[in-house]
Amino acid sequence: MKRVDRITGGLFLGLGCALAASAAAFPAGIGGLPGAGFFPRVIGAFMAVLAAALLLRPDLRGGSSVSWTSNGQQVAGMLGLLFAYLCLWGTGFFVLRTAAYVAVTLRFLGQEWKWAGSYAAALTAFVWLAFDMGLNVTLE
Amino acid sequence: MTGEILAGLVAVLDWQVLAFLAAGVSLGAVFGSLPGLTATMGVAVLTPLTFWVSPEQGLAMLLGIYCGAIPAGGIPAILINVPGTPASIATSWDGHALTKKGQAGLALGVNALASAAGQLTSILFLAFLAFPIANFALRFGPAEYFGLALLGISLMAGVSGQHVLKGMLAGALGLAVALVGLDPMTAYPRYTLGFSEFLDGISFVPVMIGLFGLGEVLLQVSERHAGQRVAAAMLGRILPRAREVRTMLATTFSGATIGTLVGAIPAAGGDIGSVIAWDQARRTSPDRDQFGKGSLRGLSASCSSCNAAIGGAMTTMLTLGIPGDAVSAILIGALLIHGIQPGPLLFANNQAFVFSIVFLLVLASLLILVIGLLGAKPLARILNIPRPWLWTGIVLFGTVGSYALNNAVVDVWAMFVAGIVGFAFRKASIPLGPLVLGLILGPMMESNLRRALILSRGEWTPLLQRPILIAFLVAAALSLLWPLIRARRGRRRVPNVSS
Repeated sequence: MKRVDRITGGLFLGLGCALAASAAAFPAGIGGLPGAGFFPRVIGAFMAVLAAALLLRPDLRGGSSVSWTSNGQQVAGMLGLLFAYLCLWGTGFFVLRTAAYVAVTLRFLGQEWKWAGSYAAALTAFVWLAFDMGLNVTLE
Repeated sequence: MTGEILAGLVAVLDWQVLAFLAAGVSLGAVFGSLPGLTATMGVAVLTPLTFWVSPEQGLAMLLGIYCGAIPAGGIPAILINVPGTPASIATSWDGHALTKKGQAGLALGVNALASAAGQLTSILFLAFLAFPIANFALRFGPAEYFGLALLGISLMAGVSGQHVLKGMLAGALGLAVALVGLDPMTAYPRYTLGFSEFLDGISFVPVMIGLFGLGEVLLQVSERHAGQRVAAAMLGRILPRAREVRTMLATTFSGATIGTLVGAIPAAGGDIGSVIAWDQARRTSPDRDQFGKGSLRGLSASCSSCNAAIGGAMTTMLTLGIPGDAVSAILIGALLIHGIQPGPLLFANNQAFVFSIVFLLVLASLLILVIGLLGAKPLARILNIPRPWLWTGIVLFGTVGSYALNNAVVDVWAMFVAGIVGFAFRKASIPLGPLVLGLILGPMMESNLRRALILSRGEWTPLLQRPILIAFLVAAALSLLWPLIRARRGRRRVPNVSS
């Protein structure tokens, strides 16, 4: 079995069991009528059974060989930059913040500063005009 | 009925609606032309832009993107052998072979013509068969709707190729995410973690933007997609000669028929339809040995079929409220935000709007034909745009669009988390389609099953005496078991010609 499928199966098994167990906190229903806990319990149990079936498969034909580390630094860097940008959401200076985020991301992806800066300014202006001015969405 | 048709036409002929349609088709052509930027991503990322306009204007833009992206997906398939959208996989088989023979322009011309023919044929199907289907669906009660939703998710998992088990797990995850919020019957809060923002559930559109926008961008970054440069001057003649058109007529319309029917099956989209149509054309054509080597018949069959799936998917979505594919799932979300519930009641209460959709689809098909024939060279140049520019643009539009939906930061974070999930799922070969269907059909499944049980006073036996429900349940079971049976027998469903 491939490692990625083992991880997938394990994660879904845990999630399914947690879902089924957490359903006990919701009303089970009255008489024959299911309550709010019925569907979480059914879906959790279904997910756990499927995950167990995935884990128990001796051979997974066609499973892709996954390289999580291929270009992992760039993926992590891009996510980190986006995370930092989102953490600063609502702190004001939308145009400056956004232009800086786009320029730094482009530079991080290998673009030259002059092109990154120009494109960041143009893209930020377009987004601001479209949403703030055009659609009256308050971005600040 | 005539009055409703005219009302639908008048609504569409408004200049603002036409402008939104033109913008949508153009944007769709750009999205489709760039490998990795799919119709689903285009519709998901740009859906928030449509919330501030009328339903007709918003739908014009989204349908324009849908109708523009699928034919444009054939452009990179033909020029660089990389399908722009999953639906254009079969297009590359003969299209790129023609490019290697120095007939790239002709391949692009056939792609434009056959795509328009496929879309228009499927719209005829929608126009003539949607009303009878919707009338039949009016007989459905809660039990049947539960069965239909279950069938939709099962079909999506069943067509997940070699990953049926993972498809079912993805569907279950979609159902689990759909549980967040107030219980649809008793308003009991579930999995809200104490946040009032989660009482209405997790917003569908930001999740879609994350799964199909950010997730796809991260995948492309991880795979170091650099793009490929194309010299537009090398295309040659675009229009086929009359003799060539005659040879393609039969395969174009048989492809369109197959594509429409496959597209109408919940969860089966243009990618499956085009492969089946290509294979069918190969079996019945006198020059079958030329298929995969630059056959115009093969190219026309695949192009018309993948585009015809649009009308089929729209028919299922509008008549039953079940998404035919991932794009129509997002369209359902967009329509719901505009206060329009797809399903048989839409045909009973708002026929003019249904006809507006039909006219919008016709106009979009004609527009993409013009763009495909006249704009083939500029569209080919789009392939030369640096990928990092596109990636940052998509991420920024997705982020701001997610926020703009409700002016809520929680939606932006939902997009972020969904993006990571989308990336991880792609890496682990877990199909995203069942997750989307689970998310959109989960509430429908739960509320209808519980309503049905209330009507039967908590008894399950009366439910199993309803023939339509039984038919749906049997079909759902077959759709899940059939791929496993086939895999065990070791049969191949799709001919391997891509190599």
